[in-house]
Amino acid sequence: MDFTYSEEQQMLADSLRRFVDTEYTFTQRRNSARGGGSFDRRMWSALAEMGVLGLTVPPEFGGFGQGAASQLVVHRELGRGLVLEPVIPSAVMATAVLAAYGSKAQQQAWLPALAAGERVLALAYLEPATRYRPEAARASAERRGDGYVLNGIKSLAWHGAAADALLVSARVAGSNDLALFLVPRDVPGLTIGAYPTMDGLHAADLTLSNVPVGGDAVIGQPADGLAALEHGIDHGIAALCAEAAGAMDKLIAITGEYLRNRHQFGKPLASFQALQHRMADMLVQAELALSMAYVAAQGLTESDLAARRRMLSGAKVVVARAGRLVGQQAVQLHGGMGMTDELEVGDYFKRLAMMDVLLGDSDYHLGRYCVAMAA
Amino acid sequence: MDLRFTAAEQGFREEVRAFAQDRLPADIRDKVLGHRRLGKDDYVRWHRILHAHGWGAPAWPKQFGGTGWTAMQRLIFEIETFRAGAPRLLSFGLTMIAPVLMKYGSPEQQARFLPRIPGMEDFWCQGYSEPGSGSDLASLKTRAERRGDRYIVNGQKIWTTMAQYADWIFCLVRTDPDARQQEGISMLLIDMKSPGITVRPIVTLDGSHDVNETWFENVAVPVANLVGEENRGWTYAKYLLGHERTGIAGIGHCHRELRQLKHYASQATDGAGRPMSEDVRMRDKIARLEMDLMALEMLLLRAITQDGGRGPGPEASIIKIRGSELQQDIAMLQMEVAGPHAWPFAPQWLDAGSVQPVSGPDWAAPAAATYFDMRKTTIYGGATEVQKNIIAKMILGF
Repeated sequence: MDFTYSEEQQMLADSLRRFVDTEYTFTQRRNSARGGGSFDRRMWSALAEMGVLGLTVPPEFGGFGQGAASQLVVHRELGRGLVLEPVIPSAVMATAVLAAYGSKAQQQAWLPALAAGERVLALAYLEPATRYRPEAARASAERRGDGYVLNGIKSLAWHGAAADALLVSARVAGSNDLALFLVPRDVPGLTIGAYPTMDGLHAADLTLSNVPVGGDAVIGQPADGLAALEHGIDHGIAALCAEAAGAMDKLIAITGEYLRNRHQFGKPLASFQALQHRMADMLVQAELALSMAYVAAQGLTESDLAARRRMLSGAKVVVARAGRLVGQQAVQLHGGMGMTDELEVGDYFKRLAMMDVLLGDSDYHLGRYCVAMAA
Repeated sequence: MDLRFTAAEQGFREEVRAFAQDRLPADIRDKVLGHRRLGKDDYVRWHRILHAHGWGAPAWPKQFGGTGWTAMQRLIFEIETFRAGAPRLLSFGLTMIAPVLMKYGSPEQQARFLPRIPGMEDFWCQGYSEPGSGSDLASLKTRAERRGDRYIVNGQKIWTTMAQYADWIFCLVRTDPDARQQEGISMLLIDMKSPGITVRPIVTLDGSHDVNETWFENVAVPVANLVGEENRGWTYAKYLLGHERTGIAGIGHCHRELRQLKHYASQATDGAGRPMSEDVRMRDKIARLEMDLMALEMLLLRAITQDGGRGPGPEASIIKIRGSELQQDIAMLQMEVAGPHAWPFAPQWLDAGSVQPVSGPDWAAPAAATYFDMRKTTIYGGATEVQKNIIAKMILGF
């Protein structure tokens, strides 16, 4: 094993860190997050230029064809900066789905545009009653002529309103297939309602009312939908774990800085052993989280399904626990100031709370893990 | 030893339960149970309903117009009113400054201020913490200089909860900058309408405005508003904080929110059609919280009944630590039960009557905000770290 970054990876990490340090300062991030828009096109182009959006896109479609390890490098840095853009839904999850399951025509139509930052995709697979289970979807797809008509409600599509098209799961009438459809946002019968989430980002609810799509909108075969979705979610989990590890790293640095500068009882807070130990606990958790981000990246290349699930779900659970502890303790160590909306610590705490539950909460993944363990 | 509630205590429980059911306004109840924001008027109305019934000051002795209830009765009152969905009683007047005035205030101060507290004719707030003096409260710098029959106050207080509503603030100020830290502090009662006071809101993680920064610029305070003796304020401050700690154990809150948690778990489904209350992982976690609450309640009962009901000493710190942690744990599990429906969050949805544009159940919408907000419980009223110092020093004798 070799954990050192390649020269290319190191360069990418360095340039991303510089980018994040200059473009995602507290004030800038706040201004764009609260500006009302779903995301900043200027930042999106910058991310495309740095190669972030085309990182895993195959070279024949204008990307860099990099694997999971490079993704870890990138998402650690994006996590440090709490980047607001829909990188994971579009450049990681949807890209992975299309690259593995899309038709040549779909790949040609979308992957170059995704890599260049010209288009954005998001996934819409949750529904009001599915909780975290993608397989529980009830939206329906009825055959009509060469195509389908979609009906149903999709909820909590992560960055859904920023997307030019959505990968929507629906059950094919007359079969048990959960198919995945590529649905453009401006198709008749589709309404998208966006709202902020607890971390200040956005999600969207979709209402599909007799939405017509062509037969070529299906990703792969109709029976591939769930597998394609899980493939995308797995890639999303790996990226999310790296992001969370990066966010924890930065939050520990921010909190350490606060303890060094804040004085009580005539000395810096950092000189109190009880608080030092707390910081040490946080560091231990962050290191475990990063380690599990590596496990998740490794899991993406694992061919045995049960082993892969254990690695990805295991990573998600350990990272969620770490993020909870680091986030909560960072607030605690900031005292009353940590409770205000005026410091960066709150933004990291909230994003970590969201990462805890995005793509399945700990109980959900613990359940998946147990099933895989018994397999 | 007799671990049962007495017949009188049982009767009292039923009396309070019936009263709350009958008299608590439905709109206030709905806000509290729905985790929506309460305004000043909601608190004032409930206080006045209680006051009209003679229950406006549950913790006060009869000689000052209180109920004269035992600690056990007060606990039963808290649990039952919270259970019904009543707002908490605001502590600043009732259980913070009032006990100090009863013990250390002049007869004139007692006569002037105490009768106006139970009916909330005066709305009080607290001026303790400063930007540079949180856990190390004794380092406070707000200065009060004596000029004839007035003090001139200059400085800044922070975390002044509900200062935007307050008529009066009780303030710790430095009257002798040359004395040892704790020995140069006095307590002043300051009219919030005095010229020179500025209140600036602080918005917290849940998007709410409860706390403020309060500035004093050459604020003139009559010497008659000095509590007790000059430079003895630290003694009064500690006396006050001892009262605050048992109050913020949040036992009534824990009971109510645990009940709500169970209700939510019966409403939310696991994605396969079963209620979350039947999900083994979730059920175990809820059961653990219920056990934690049993332990906390018995701990509290032991503490409040000791010394003939005079209330706990440093044991209050144990209760404060556990009560605050349990409040956080319950809020966290409520958010977990809500699942993806807890993701959407916009602060304006916390206002009663607001429509949220999301498909989830109403109860789930404030779950994240409540979780964020509950992080304060291990910070305010003496952070957990401070409580542990007290336990180490006062109970363990280190």
